[in-house]
Amino acid sequence: MTDLTPITALGDSVPRVHTAGGYTLRENADLALASLAVARGVAAPAPFGLGLPDAGGLAVGEGGRSAFWTAPDQWMIAAEGMAETDFAASLLAEVPGGRVTEQTDGWTAFEIASEDAAQIESLLERLVNLPAAATAPGRATRTGLEHMSVFVLRRTDSHVTIIGMRTLAASLWHALETAVDRLGGTQ
Amino acid sequence: MTRIQGGLIDRNRPLSFRFDGRSYSGFEGDTLASALLANGVRLVGRSFKYHRPRGIFSAGSEEPNALVELREGARREPNTRATVVELYDGLVADSQNRIGSLEHDLLSVNDLFAPFFAAGFYYKTFMWPRAFWEKLYEPAIRRAAGLGSLSMLADPDAYDRGFQHPDLLVIGGGAAGLMAALTTGRAGASVLLADEDCRLGGRLLAEGGVIDDTPAADWVAGVVAELENLPNVRILTRTTVFGAYDHGVYGAVERVSDHLPEPGRKVRQTLWRISARHAILATGATERHIPFGDNDRPGIMLAGAMRAYVNRWAVTPQARAEDPVAIFTNNDDGHRTALALAARGVPLAGVIDTRSGVSSLGEYRTFAGATVTGTKGRKGLSAIELRHGGTSEWLNCGALGVSGGWNPNVHLASHHRGRPLWSDEKLAFVPDDNGPQGLLVAGAARGEGSTAEALADGARVALTALEALGISGTAPAIPVASEEPSAIEAFWHVPAKGRAWVDFQNDVTVKDIKLAHQENMRPVEHLKRWTTLGMATDQGKTANVTALAVMAELTGKTIPETGTTIFRPPYTPVSMGVLGGGDTGQRFRPRRLTPTHPWAEAQGAVFVEVGPWMRAQYFPRAGETHWRQTVDREARAVRASVGVCDVTTLGKIDVQGPDAGEFLNRIYANLMGTLKPGKVRYGLMLREDGIAYDDGTCACLAEGHYVVTTTTANAGLVYQRMEFARQCLWPELDVTLISTTDAWAQIAVAGPKSRELLSRIVDGFDMSNDAFPFMGCAELTVCGGLRARLFRISFSGELAYEIAVPARYGNALMERLMDTGKDLDVTAYGTEALGVLRIEKGHATANEINGQTTATMLGMDRMVSRKKDSIGAIMSRREGLSGDARRLVGFVPVDAGEPVVAGSHLVAPGDPVDMAHDQGWITSACYSPHVGSSIGLGYLVNGDSRLGQEFIAANPLEGQSVRVKAVSAHFVDPEGERLRD
Repeated sequence: MTDLTPITALGDSVPRVHTAGGYTLRENADLALASLAVARGVAAPAPFGLGLPDAGGLAVGEGGRSAFWTAPDQWMIAAEGMAETDFAASLLAEVPGGRVTEQTDGWTAFEIASEDAAQIESLLERLVNLPAAATAPGRATRTGLEHMSVFVLRRTDSHVTIIGMRTLAASLWHALETAVDRLGGTQ
Repeated sequence: MTRIQGGLIDRNRPLSFRFDGRSYSGFEGDTLASALLANGVRLVGRSFKYHRPRGIFSAGSEEPNALVELREGARREPNTRATVVELYDGLVADSQNRIGSLEHDLLSVNDLFAPFFAAGFYYKTFMWPRAFWEKLYEPAIRRAAGLGSLSMLADPDAYDRGFQHPDLLVIGGGAAGLMAALTTGRAGASVLLADEDCRLGGRLLAEGGVIDDTPAADWVAGVVAELENLPNVRILTRTTVFGAYDHGVYGAVERVSDHLPEPGRKVRQTLWRISARHAILATGATERHIPFGDNDRPGIMLAGAMRAYVNRWAVTPQARAEDPVAIFTNNDDGHRTALALAARGVPLAGVIDTRSGVSSLGEYRTFAGATVTGTKGRKGLSAIELRHGGTSEWLNCGALGVSGGWNPNVHLASHHRGRPLWSDEKLAFVPDDNGPQGLLVAGAARGEGSTAEALADGARVALTALEALGISGTAPAIPVASEEPSAIEAFWHVPAKGRAWVDFQNDVTVKDIKLAHQENMRPVEHLKRWTTLGMATDQGKTANVTALAVMAELTGKTIPETGTTIFRPPYTPVSMGVLGGGDTGQRFRPRRLTPTHPWAEAQGAVFVEVGPWMRAQYFPRAGETHWRQTVDREARAVRASVGVCDVTTLGKIDVQGPDAGEFLNRIYANLMGTLKPGKVRYGLMLREDGIAYDDGTCACLAEGHYVVTTTTANAGLVYQRMEFARQCLWPELDVTLISTTDAWAQIAVAGPKSRELLSRIVDGFDMSNDAFPFMGCAELTVCGGLRARLFRISFSGELAYEIAVPARYGNALMERLMDTGKDLDVTAYGTEALGVLRIEKGHATANEINGQTTATMLGMDRMVSRKKDSIGAIMSRREGLSGDARRLVGFVPVDAGEPVVAGSHLVAPGDPVDMAHDQGWITSACYSPHVGSSIGLGYLVNGDSRLGQEFIAANPLEGQSVRVKAVSAHFVDPEGERLRD
């Protein structure tokens, strides 16, 4: 175990949390990510038992693992609480011969939750130019948000994960914080 | 006071406001215009060119005259139409475009010089003397231009944006729009209904009629209640759909807080981008006027507006209730205004109707076959001259309503160059079916203007839209509306000796149009530009068709033969703030921060913007008073001991697959497929046309697994082009590309003591030259088990490495290196020293690979392999490129105290400084602490055979001329021994 101390994408020692009028915005520093690609025409594997989804799909499996489609024959595999591990190696062990690339620190994940699903929808229509079908529960879409490239993962009615480039974390957090403050009525 | 009973204002909520410093009162539901009229204020502004006194002309967003500066301080907004400003308590507005008071505007002297300001005045007058243009004319015109003035303070408000994706967008919530929304909403379509007004109803609110035996306003309330209960219908009031764009996208601005004294916690406005599968344009119509002599006096307004003020705002248009009101019309609608006024007990001077043989529709006098030929009343109408039966007479009147018919609001239907069609029957341009795809037009916007027609048409068009959407719908019962007479007879203007205004806001008269015709500016687009007709902030909503008619009369052509103007977005003015989204200052655009940013900030680094990145430029220490001191120290430290620099910004692309080597062979000009695991190779990429476009290193981590490094600036571009090649050019190659730029924090460790420093953090990795030679790479662990990648590459020319760790550990690794290397005098260096070091070494970067240079010019022509094909290889061998004689060389000043300036062009001593004698240019320059003088890199014709020759580096822009000597581009260790040590 290394003796170096990591920092979060926002540059802090602990993940940031912000609440506003029913919204909770939380930096998720524990989400491990690795991309998986297979050769064209090869049947999609099932790492960790995940059924890898088609375009726009988000698959949720056991143990906090999930997968979403990123390109033909290519997926992002995510695992809660595994960011400090060599998750890419774990994934490769699941899919021998697969093309795995470590992505954990290529991205930053911000979790947005509200008990009121309508609040999540109001927020999404301010953030991303996507029709409701693309942000319905179980959907994952790559799109632009304030000139930044993001993945929008609608995990449930009341929970959406925005995954953006790590180096843009501060700008993305600002955009999300501003939006929830405006809609949450605290600004 | 001219307030009457009734109306849709809330008399329980009185509001006070100020106009030009005087206090007035109004009610909730008033606009600034209706409240001013209620207080007997008729003079509200001055015209653009002649500073003529002007009053309120309309009751909507088409207003050309009643423009004010709204609010105070930083929120002051000029050119605000009083007719669409919702009154709030404490509102402050001032008249504009005047010197002195509104009553006694000193600039009204312009009116005396009107003959000199005719159409084309600027073009004719400011042609000569030529030299006067820049110094005198343009500044003078700029000072005089515009109407209101800006506060010159930063906008204090926030703006938002959002996106909507309805099945159907209904633009306009009048009779047609409400029926369309109701029909489609009931059918289950997702419907967005947008209206620029604060309440739905459109003209129904202004007409005060009866629908289904209930007052129109109540019928509207019932429909709105039903729509609000439909979960699939969304209503946006105070929202102007200002433009139709490609692919069914519409732009709309919601004025969230403009009706409030201050936005408070809310945003001021929201920009909505609406992607609609279909849209219905139900924007109604705008009344046009009939130009006649002196028709611009305060108190003269559109007859339909007069009716709106009476019915909706309970206000009559004259200054005093006892003043009689007259109507001038060519159609039945003018008579409806007379009826509305008469019903409220307003004294009527009569209806002047251009049509012969018409009679009154009620208890008032009608002058059939008559015209208005003149007016009196400098600051407010007092009398009109009536020509009737060959005689003239003056009638006292305090207000005149003018109606020349209605122009359908076809604007959005024209936004894709859709040309409206002229209807002889309706005497109006109506939309053709050549407008934006998916846009249907309903109601008065396509000439179906009576309430009954609009209600039926809204439902009918809605069913068409539902069919197009594939949703089954049911035709609703069409509400019964009272019959509205609507006969009209063409009459476009009253010939006058004096001026008859067509476009009020830009002061364009019938005479100006005649002059344009006389001067052969007859095509509509010429007419527009010669006279400035329709070019003011109202875009000539009340003027354009009338102007066309006048021009048609002059040319003897029909109106459609004369043409029509093209309408472009925005429909009404849109603030730049809302278009910009409100992001300013540091938030103007997203910023990328390097993994060591927190550490660099703590060190007091000075940052520089490099594209979206913020990079540490240099790290000043106490006692250093000039950046050069810092940079020289940092550069020296690298050459003397060891320096560390965050180089995460360089692009990193993970390339995997059995065909990865072949793929890279085709991407790079040089052979890359032969690279063995554990090795790094420098690579050059060419564009398709053979020009060099990026360089970097490629590391082979394992068989079929590479990491391509790009320059910072081209990281995205190279990745994009590689993806294009993978997907489109060579889909047969089995290869996968993933950007990992952000995933890994990469730190350059450079200098003779770099090996020693790194040895202290690696976990048992053999750093010896034999085990890990120059251009080696390895995956290893550092600092007790952290996975890392190590590359032995050098940008500085020194023994150097780049070490990469997962980005979250980058900051800690930097701290560790600085801490561990204290005894080695480890020094952090920024981009400035990085530049110095690479110039000293003669390494090319974006300054040299600038999109105009070739591998040959870089001295890398042999890198373009002939053993294989690659992008740009063949094109690089064409004569125009391969024959380029310029070569990259170094330069030093002959006098060591002189600077070398990047961008300077090189000429032989004694030659003129011009392009005919150009010998090349300096691409990069810096002060080199190693050399002890300024140095530079640059391209010189036959440079490789002219080392030692002197040239003049000329910088005519700054008057510099420096004698320089061409030298080898490698100022440091030309044999390359240090980096291999």
